[in-house]
Amino acid sequence: MVAGARTLPMRAMTQVAGAGMTVEELRVRFGAREVLHGISTAFAPRRITALIGPTGCGKTTLLRSLNRLHDGRPGAQISGSVRLGVEEVYGTRVNVRDLRRRIGMLFQRPNPFPQSIRENVSLAARIHGLWSRAETPRRTEAVLREVGLWDAVGDRLSSAPFSLSGGQQQLLCLARALAVEPEVLLLDEPTSSLDPRTTGRIEELIGSLREHMTIVIVTHNLQQAARVADDVCFLLDGSLVERAPATEFFQRPADERSRAYVEGRVG
Amino acid sequence: MRLRQRQRGSVDLRGAIGGIPGWRARLADADLSPGDRVVRGVLLVAAIIPVLTLLFLTAEMVQSAVPALVYAGGSFFTGQLFTFGNLYATGQTVSHGIHAPLGAAYGALPFIVGTLASSMIALAIALPVSVGAVLALVERVPRRLQPGLSVFLELLAGIPSVAYGFWGVLYFGPALAQHLYPVLSRLGVVLPFMRGPVGAGEGLLTTSLILAVMIVPIIAATTRELVRTVPILAKEGALALGMTPYETVRVVTLPFIRNGILAAAILGWARALGETMAVLMISGDFLNALPANVYSPFSTIAATIVDLLDSALTDPTGMAVHALAAIGLVLLVITLATNLVGRMIIRRVTTGVLPVGRGI
Repeated sequence: MVAGARTLPMRAMTQVAGAGMTVEELRVRFGAREVLHGISTAFAPRRITALIGPTGCGKTTLLRSLNRLHDGRPGAQISGSVRLGVEEVYGTRVNVRDLRRRIGMLFQRPNPFPQSIRENVSLAARIHGLWSRAETPRRTEAVLREVGLWDAVGDRLSSAPFSLSGGQQQLLCLARALAVEPEVLLLDEPTSSLDPRTTGRIEELIGSLREHMTIVIVTHNLQQAARVADDVCFLLDGSLVERAPATEFFQRPADERSRAYVEGRVG
Repeated sequence: MRLRQRQRGSVDLRGAIGGIPGWRARLADADLSPGDRVVRGVLLVAAIIPVLTLLFLTAEMVQSAVPALVYAGGSFFTGQLFTFGNLYATGQTVSHGIHAPLGAAYGALPFIVGTLASSMIALAIALPVSVGAVLALVERVPRRLQPGLSVFLELLAGIPSVAYGFWGVLYFGPALAQHLYPVLSRLGVVLPFMRGPVGAGEGLLTTSLILAVMIVPIIAATTRELVRTVPILAKEGALALGMTPYETVRVVTLPFIRNGILAAAILGWARALGETMAVLMISGDFLNALPANVYSPFSTIAATIVDLLDSALTDPTGMAVHALAAIGLVLLVITLATNLVGRMIIRRVTTGVLPVGRGI
């Protein structure tokens, strides 16, 4: 990454790293099936926490509980407590719209809007009233530069994003998420559909974003977790088995099940 | 574009698996049992019948329409007088070398205008209503209530048009003329075609409203299927950015299905163009003048053909039937054209505009 080319959104530069997130006794049920059986953990600010575990262990369910993305799903029941800073995410007086602005998300596959590249970046920021019409072009450019996409798309902001490569589309989605200046960034296997080079690029970006926000990443890829994460939460069958600093977790897993997973004997 | 590339890739793949197509066909031919051959023959005939039907129909229509078209010349499209002439007089009118009953004139402009106007007004009303209804149904109504409400849309499609016509002429039309049209006619200050008199309720606007009710199910059913094809992942992208469901519809759902809705609208329009019975009952069945305002009685091609066929058959020169065939041909051309355009748009929709979340 070219260090000089990076321009951060203004608030991100001035703000102290935003609030971390805390989860207490979180239970999530879909109909009769309980997917998370009372998880308690914390995601510290300025740190990258990786959620790892075999398929179906509840990583993504936990991640999606953090920004209330289960809300629309029929039969979903959530109990326990999720807090952003000191604010209860599932509180009755919470403004979900503002909450989701403060908690950005990047999905397993790129999902740009069927709109122009320019609007993909600026629409949400405009809707939330963060960008005025006059400053939109400048800030669009700044965010696209931040993710390193400006050189590739700067001259075709009006075209649709679907002609971009998968990796570029994912970077565009990251730009879109950063445009609304989130305090927390949730990443749901953000590189699972990307080539190694773009994966490296995104990991690098995540690493530098850590200075300004709380980052939670779900990943199947243990190497990736070892590369980017400061902390690791290991989930198994909807329960938290172990939570530890990444180096400690990968070198000396405390739990026998963690050791089996890290050594590739299960999962 | 990427999708097209991928498609080409899959065609290549199929070639690789199937081997040389010609070789495969010969092998299959040799393997056919007598039963297979019979089935194949029956299927072949079944496949050809619709094609032949359309070809014969068009050919017959053209052949039958030609004398009237020659007789009327350019006035077929510009004339407002449509009359079979005096079927009992001994004299004849000769025009462009064609003989017709005394005083016969075949100006089809009022029907063409009536057909296009009523169907377009109907479409303009039905399109926002059906798209809005579907989006409300799919996005806002709790999922367990959706099937029940969807049934109503489908039931609407099953009501015979004669029932609509009956209801329209006896209740709906008079009620509109009494309560709604006097209010609408105040818009006449800015929109001249909205000016009164409003009449008794048989006319262009009443017909268009009934047609709109008839095509809402068609557009709504197609739109509902389209809305369901929008990937959840794309919608979640908007929700996760703090957009409201309404903003999600505007930013993600509608752009995704825009072309499909257009195609659905054209299919609905084709239905409105050809609707006969309800129009005949509600239109006021008025010939030989263009509608003066939106409340005016008028007629359409389809309704006029049904209305006049009986007397046309008594024309000893046969010209009256030719004249009806000519306006029928116009309707056929308009309907085929709209269908063709609709199909072209649908094909574009299914081959390329939707590759969000491309990759896996």
